[in-house]
Amino acid sequence: MTTMDTRPSGPPDEPEEPTNRPPSMHRVRNWLKRPYAKGIVGLTILLGILLLPVAWLILIPMRATGAPASEIMEGIEQTVFVFTLVSVPIVAFVYAVLVYSLLKWRKYKGDQIPEDESPAIRTNTIGVVLWTTMSSVLAFFLVVWGLIELAQITSNSYGTISADQQPGDEQSVIVNVTGQQWVWTFEYPQHDGVTTEVLYLPKDRPVYFNVTSKDVIHNFWLVELGVKIDANPGAITQTGVTPNKLGSFNLRCAELCGMHHAYMETSVEVVEGETFESVMREMGGGRTA
Amino acid sequence: MSTAQAKPEQPKSPGKEQPRYPTTGEPISTIARRAKAGLWTLIVMDAAGTIAIIIAYSYLWSLNVNGGWAPPGASLTGSETDQSLPSSPPTASFAVEWPFWAIFGLVIISTLAMWFGYRELKRGNHAGMVVGTGAALVVAVGALVAQWIQISTFPFAAGDGAYASAVLLLCASNIFNLLILIFLQLGMLIRTSKGLVSQAVHYQPQILSYWMVWLCIAFLLGAICTSFMVESPNLDPAIFGTFQQQS
Amino acid sequence: MSTETITQTATVFGDEVPQPRQYGKPGGIMRRLNMGTALVGGIGLAAIAGFVANALVPSGASTVTFAPVAPDIVYLAILVGWTIGFSVGIGAFVGPIRWLFGRDLTHADAEYMAGKDLGVKRYFKFTTDHKVVGVQYLVVFAFILGFGGLLAMLIRTELGVTWSEVFSPAFYNSMIGTHGIAMIIAMIISVMGPIANFIMPIMIGARDMAFPRLNALSLWLVVVAALCLVSTLFTGGIQDGWSVYQPLASQGPPAMLGYQMTIIVFAISTGVASVNLMVTALTMRAKGMTWSRTPIFVYGIFGAALMGLYAFPFFQYSQIMALTDRIWNTSFFNPLQGGSVWLYENLFWLLGHPEVYVIIIPGTVVLFELMPVFMRKPLFSFNFAVAGIVGVVALSGLVWAHHMYMTGWAPAANYPFMLSTEMISIPVGFLVLVVIGTMWRGLVWTRLPIMAVYAVIFNKMIGGVTGIYLSDVPVDQYMHGTMFVVAHFHYMLMGAGLFGAMAGLAFYFPKMTGRVLDERTASIGFWTAFTGFQITFMAMFVAGLQGMPRRVLQFDSLFNAPNWISTIGAYIIGLGMLIFAGAVVSSWISGDKAPANPFGSKSLEWQTPTPVPLENFAVLPVVTERPYNYGVPDPYEKELQEADQDLHPEEVGSR
Repeated sequence: MTTMDTRPSGPPDEPEEPTNRPPSMHRVRNWLKRPYAKGIVGLTILLGILLLPVAWLILIPMRATGAPASEIMEGIEQTVFVFTLVSVPIVAFVYAVLVYSLLKWRKYKGDQIPEDESPAIRTNTIGVVLWTTMSSVLAFFLVVWGLIELAQITSNSYGTISADQQPGDEQSVIVNVTGQQWVWTFEYPQHDGVTTEVLYLPKDRPVYFNVTSKDVIHNFWLVELGVKIDANPGAITQTGVTPNKLGSFNLRCAELCGMHHAYMETSVEVVEGETFESVMREMGGGRTA
Repeated sequence: MSTAQAKPEQPKSPGKEQPRYPTTGEPISTIARRAKAGLWTLIVMDAAGTIAIIIAYSYLWSLNVNGGWAPPGASLTGSETDQSLPSSPPTASFAVEWPFWAIFGLVIISTLAMWFGYRELKRGNHAGMVVGTGAALVVAVGALVAQWIQISTFPFAAGDGAYASAVLLLCASNIFNLLILIFLQLGMLIRTSKGLVSQAVHYQPQILSYWMVWLCIAFLLGAICTSFMVESPNLDPAIFGTFQQQS
Repeated sequence: MSTETITQTATVFGDEVPQPRQYGKPGGIMRRLNMGTALVGGIGLAAIAGFVANALVPSGASTVTFAPVAPDIVYLAILVGWTIGFSVGIGAFVGPIRWLFGRDLTHADAEYMAGKDLGVKRYFKFTTDHKVVGVQYLVVFAFILGFGGLLAMLIRTELGVTWSEVFSPAFYNSMIGTHGIAMIIAMIISVMGPIANFIMPIMIGARDMAFPRLNALSLWLVVVAALCLVSTLFTGGIQDGWSVYQPLASQGPPAMLGYQMTIIVFAISTGVASVNLMVTALTMRAKGMTWSRTPIFVYGIFGAALMGLYAFPFFQYSQIMALTDRIWNTSFFNPLQGGSVWLYENLFWLLGHPEVYVIIIPGTVVLFELMPVFMRKPLFSFNFAVAGIVGVVALSGLVWAHHMYMTGWAPAANYPFMLSTEMISIPVGFLVLVVIGTMWRGLVWTRLPIMAVYAVIFNKMIGGVTGIYLSDVPVDQYMHGTMFVVAHFHYMLMGAGLFGAMAGLAFYFPKMTGRVLDERTASIGFWTAFTGFQITFMAMFVAGLQGMPRRVLQFDSLFNAPNWISTIGAYIIGLGMLIFAGAVVSSWISGDKAPANPFGSKSLEWQTPTPVPLENFAVLPVVTERPYNYGVPDPYEKELQEADQDLHPEEVGSR
């Protein structure tokens, strides 16, 4: 049996010299004098420091294939990074309590029912208020961040404008994406309806996708560009992105669509604007819209 | 927690000896309270199921996917975009509305008869209870027959689009509810004649009466849908598999 | 009046109570009905129904999409025959029929049906004693868990063997679908089945549940549903994931009907169980057990049952609609004829989200019950715990469409659903605070149930934080449909849910089985499984972050390494779970007899002898104290009061 002493050591403090410190600071200081308080706060800080690198580490697998290739993906990475950072304090604190409990408060083992009992703390107003406040502030921060980011992304896509009424200005490119078991086809209505099975995108120009399916639900996922929308049979969904990096990227289907769902992949070629136009022309479609 | 020795539960009103439930010996008022709580939970469950049907009906009505809401032949948006093989000749159309209200009316009458019977039972008029329950049963059977006739004379079949599917499911749910209701009413009648339902032990017709009120609401919801949400508001659905609108 | 009543009286708990007429021996026809007759009835009627259906369906009949319809109709007939036949054979309809004809149960009938003096046989009958039902649930849970676990091992084998295909794509797809739904069913009943049924009535000082026959019904319907599920492996497999999205499901083999019947039957079981649990909690608490003296376990079970009650019908109806789409060519989900895939998704997730709270809340409140015992201090902030449960239940119905962020069904809806999803993290956080607060300054009696709590909280934080990523719509634009999601929900449902259920079962093992659990072996199994769990699912997070989609059996070589690691971890989990199961089984069969209150708990259920007598209490208890009355006064209280008086000497009062 390990001895555990939760009693305060020594007599209470002698009256302090008069100071300007508010009484609550006395309470905090006195609380910190308790051995477990120091231990848990210290452990929280230590675990927090150990957990901080996760915010960077988590981005490494996300960048395995060339991400980020758009501002949307950059925003996603930033969000993951920030969310990890703000979660670290609460996680560190909870884990610190777990660890400290295992280190310092273990007292009995075996079959005998313990004779001692612990302090009968049925509530702690300060603790409850602190926790509620912190978790609410955290949730509020996450919500506001998320809403702003979502608004930015949505402004990059058509939302719910029907395919017939989409503007075709000089800059933007419209792609009609059709998913079917188990192949993606892309049609460029502004380029004489050229149809491809590889997705060609121009760099630094806004691209709008109209997506549908001919049979079951598929999911149109441009991995490194951070674009994802379901391809539904009987509906047209929309999204959009502006690629900002050249290269060959991945399009994967992210909704189980039958036997060869695993193979429903193709490549996304982001090329310079002029290269894009010449590729379209080679395929038989000059720019008409 | 202390486990003080205590006498078994006394009946709620010591002045008047309450009947006891045979299996557990508890006073009937305890059992009645439990049964009523059980009824509320059952109503929540059935309400969730009814709402699921209403959601299906109204959501499909609002979407009119591929123009397939209306039965083919019923309206303009019916047949042109339909790329499937309809299972009925293009004379299928929406159902007539008044039968839904008629059946709803029958359910109301049955409920009122049941309430009448229950009220008479509480007053000690045993014969009144039998009359009320019997009348409720007969009317419920009438509602069942009417519902069956309605289903068999619908101007569409199950394969005729989303409206047809939703209405048939609604009617099937009505049939199911009516079958259970008839079972319960029959049981109530038999038990009353055997004395198991009496002025002293009346919680079962009580909860049956409450249940019937819920049934009225369920039938009402169906009648409202089929009367006020018939033609789809979406006149311009996309054509399946393409990027074009109807127009 | 009639002559049916008052022919005799019986002694019921010390009182003479008039009895209805006794028809035959006590129990009547139930004396002859048991699992054997149920199997005969089920298999027999299934065979007859299948034969008749086969004879009646015209050969060459086909659906609108030219698929042969005969296998579907025959299989459906078999399943319906099985359900009705088994139910008849176990005696489920005896109650309603007796009620219809006014042949009410006597006390002797009720005692027979509760299994009095029947010995082991009562576990194989339609027994109403909640303790028997609890043990039956435990066994059924173990079988379904084992079934799902075996499938998991096969799945991980396929994913680990990256250089070839071990199974065909069709079989692989059916393995993941069947594994998913089997585990969901197992987890739903993991605590609400064995522990809520066995322990809760005793915990509240009652003799049984509110509706004992409904209790037995809910258990046997799980058996019916589980066998419907197993039959799908022989009819082509559920090849569409556990969520069985339409319209892919309509392309599936007849096994999809097996899934639909499983859910339709299971929904009835859960609905009936929810009614029972809620009414029991509401109306059967002992005298003196006001709501503030009611253990938090009761609140949690009530909340979980409520969520199941309102949410399961949506799932049930989604499957009924899928069934009619398949058999009768309705078009709820067929977009060619007006159906909508979004309708299916909405109906499904209206259950799908509350369901995870149905799983996690009981798993959490059982920890709330055991922590005070092993830390000898009261539960921290009972009111906060109640607030957390209430908050989760209230918000649970408002977050479902966060599973549909990427479907495009209503882009504007993504905003409010993101808000509600982030908000629900607050009441969930309350529950974590209660655990941490109970742990705070509490001495630890290092038995397996409490040690498991550390594992659960460790996993719950990871699951919670990764859930925060997913709740953000832009981030979900990357993460949805990847293995990241799979790892997240395994952390919550398995890491926190299953391990929490295992902690609860280890805690209540002595009371439920009358034996002492071999904690040494069980701990070895538990921690082995825990270690394997971290390996498996941490590597799975990496695979998901790299961009590996869900439900694929072949993938880019980039994902090979994480999958190898996950597979090794999975085998370690399997080993650990087998060890744990072995400890449970061997302790149950030949462990030491358990004392009545081996952990020194002050809760009502531990004040009964072990094995618990049929009527639970000779005399129903009266409750006079609040629960969790452990602990000694806080030594720091004195110091705080004195410090207070130093600063405010004019104030007198206690904290």
